[in-house]
Amino acid sequence: MDYPLRRQDIYAAILLIAFSLFIIVESWRMPREMLGFPAYAGPGMVTGLLGLGLLGMALALLVRALRRPGKGVGIRRAEVQAYFAAPETRRLGLVLLLNSAYLLSLGHGIPYYVTTGGYLLATMAVFRAASWWMIALVAGLATTGLAVVFNRIFLVPLP
Amino acid sequence: MLYGPYYILVEIWNLLTPMVLFHVLWATFVGTVVGMLPGLTATMGIALLTGLTFGMDPKYAIIILLCVYVGAITGGSRSSILLNIPGTPANAAAALDGFPLAQRGEAGPAIGLSATASYIGTVFGILCLAFLTPLLGQLALKFQSWEFFWLGIFGVVVCGNLTAPTDPLKGWIAGFLGLLLSLFGQEGIAAYNRFAFGIDQMRAGFSLIPVLVGAYGLAEVIAVMRERTHIKIPKQVGRILPRWTDIVQNKVHMLRSGVIGVLIGIIPGVGEDVASWVSYDFAKRASKHPELFGKGSKEGLMAAETGDNACIGGAIIPVLSLAVPGSAPAAVLLGAMWLHGIRPGPLLMVEFPNYIWEITAMLILAASASLLISLVGVRFQVKILTVPRPLLMPVVFTLCVIGSYAISVRVFDLWVMFVFGVLGYAMRTYNYPAAPLVLGIILGDMVDVNLRRALIRTDGDITPFFTRPISLILVGITLLVILSRTVWFRRAMAALFRRRPAVPTTQS
Repeated sequence: MDYPLRRQDIYAAILLIAFSLFIIVESWRMPREMLGFPAYAGPGMVTGLLGLGLLGMALALLVRALRRPGKGVGIRRAEVQAYFAAPETRRLGLVLLLNSAYLLSLGHGIPYYVTTGGYLLATMAVFRAASWWMIALVAGLATTGLAVVFNRIFLVPLP
Repeated sequence: MLYGPYYILVEIWNLLTPMVLFHVLWATFVGTVVGMLPGLTATMGIALLTGLTFGMDPKYAIIILLCVYVGAITGGSRSSILLNIPGTPANAAAALDGFPLAQRGEAGPAIGLSATASYIGTVFGILCLAFLTPLLGQLALKFQSWEFFWLGIFGVVVCGNLTAPTDPLKGWIAGFLGLLLSLFGQEGIAAYNRFAFGIDQMRAGFSLIPVLVGAYGLAEVIAVMRERTHIKIPKQVGRILPRWTDIVQNKVHMLRSGVIGVLIGIIPGVGEDVASWVSYDFAKRASKHPELFGKGSKEGLMAAETGDNACIGGAIIPVLSLAVPGSAPAAVLLGAMWLHGIRPGPLLMVEFPNYIWEITAMLILAASASLLISLVGVRFQVKILTVPRPLLMPVVFTLCVIGSYAISVRVFDLWVMFVFGVLGYAMRTYNYPAAPLVLGIILGDMVDVNLRRALIRTDGDITPFFTRPISLILVGITLLVILSRTVWFRRAMAALFRRRPAVPTTQS
């Protein structure tokens, strides 16, 4: 029987191998003797060992995935088109887009009510969470409630 | 320890103030709602509340987090029973028998039984916490750098093994990734900036709370928003209060599950979901009617719910005695304790011996409030389940933002939360468990500092890592856990224990 995550495991293993090699090289380049401590107590000691451990596991993941039956490594154009046409992918893209836009809007002096209210309105509307009046009501109440409860009562700073 | 019950009663009495009771009630209710709503987990609830209660008195903040913990694990069974969707991973086993009971029109009794079993399990776990923590604390005083290093590795390996039972390699990768990511930023011995890439904010490394809020909170938000779910609630709930005979008939199952829950709780990073499944499995094996399991067995429901709740107390035992979390929610709790200036670990029992009794008293109040809320407000809680997810999740994300920002007031932490949220979502999609990653991030500093400190103490000699008795036990178990998942080891074991065919006797 085909292993459904074969391709994903291969790509993940390649990423992990690259990451662990980067960690090992950077650990090796860290100063070996600092403040009179010997090399084995240097800052790159543990990161290097963990990088080696991760490299070993990533190689095991790669070898195991290559030996299992399943989808090949190459990605066909039709697969890409099908992936992007799927409603789940569009919803995923929208969530990431709206959330990152909200984060980008924070910390630039725009009032919290405006950024958060705008984010809630936009997200609920895009995902058709409820009727328009309900979305406006929930967004307004949630923004005001969050600001009052956390900023005024719990004294938590808002972004 | 003989005076333990007296100290617990004193601490409960001290906590019985209007302000504490107010916090206990609202926090347990919030925890119940968080646990009940599929997509919001106990870990996420505690991580969010950690940031949001940062400015509060540590006593109130910790009691709020404990109430959310107990409330969420208990409340998670609500959606398991009514919707066949576990509110938290810990309540997945409860759905197997809870939902068939609800389909038979016994949703109310099922909720009542699960709430009672949860209460009994929580109290059993709390009592074990009160009396086992000092014992483990005594043992922990013998731990030195060698043992603490191995304890960190042991925790990550065991957690990876148990949270990814079908593919432990992915669990170990997640754990090692967590260990590595925790070492980004300034290290503790020579103040060298590791992997800071010239970014000022990276010198402090990745703050724990934004990482946890991202890995558990935002990852859940993304996962839930990606799917379009329709929720149907049974119209009839029925009688909630459980029958006394049901409780008495299942006392042995509950006791066994309580012991299992506590023992699994003590194992680093494993947690309530494993406790619930193992308790369920043991109950099925011991039952006179195993054929009813999965078809609405009250034994199965009560065993699963006792096991996961007993695990709460069990998971806090290593938090207090070793500063090593027994579950993912306990990991966040440990982080919250650090934030509030409480230093759990071997010296806690020496410096603040009463703190265990205080935590015990807080948990007893949380368990009692959870039982009350579970039995009284079910009909109202059921209505909350109907709130559309696209209406709820954006609000949850704004809470993630406030929770991540509140600790250090840095926009950088918001992006840390976002990156770890996307990473957590990707890991979940491709079967990498998040618990070892989180445990690795918690234990990374312990592994780093103790390995290097131990090598300095022995002038580079690694022999004590393998010759000191506790180190040897930890190394042995760690290796055994890894070896036990290899094919050749299983084959060797199978060959060793395979029965030899009987030698035919020849008759003359």
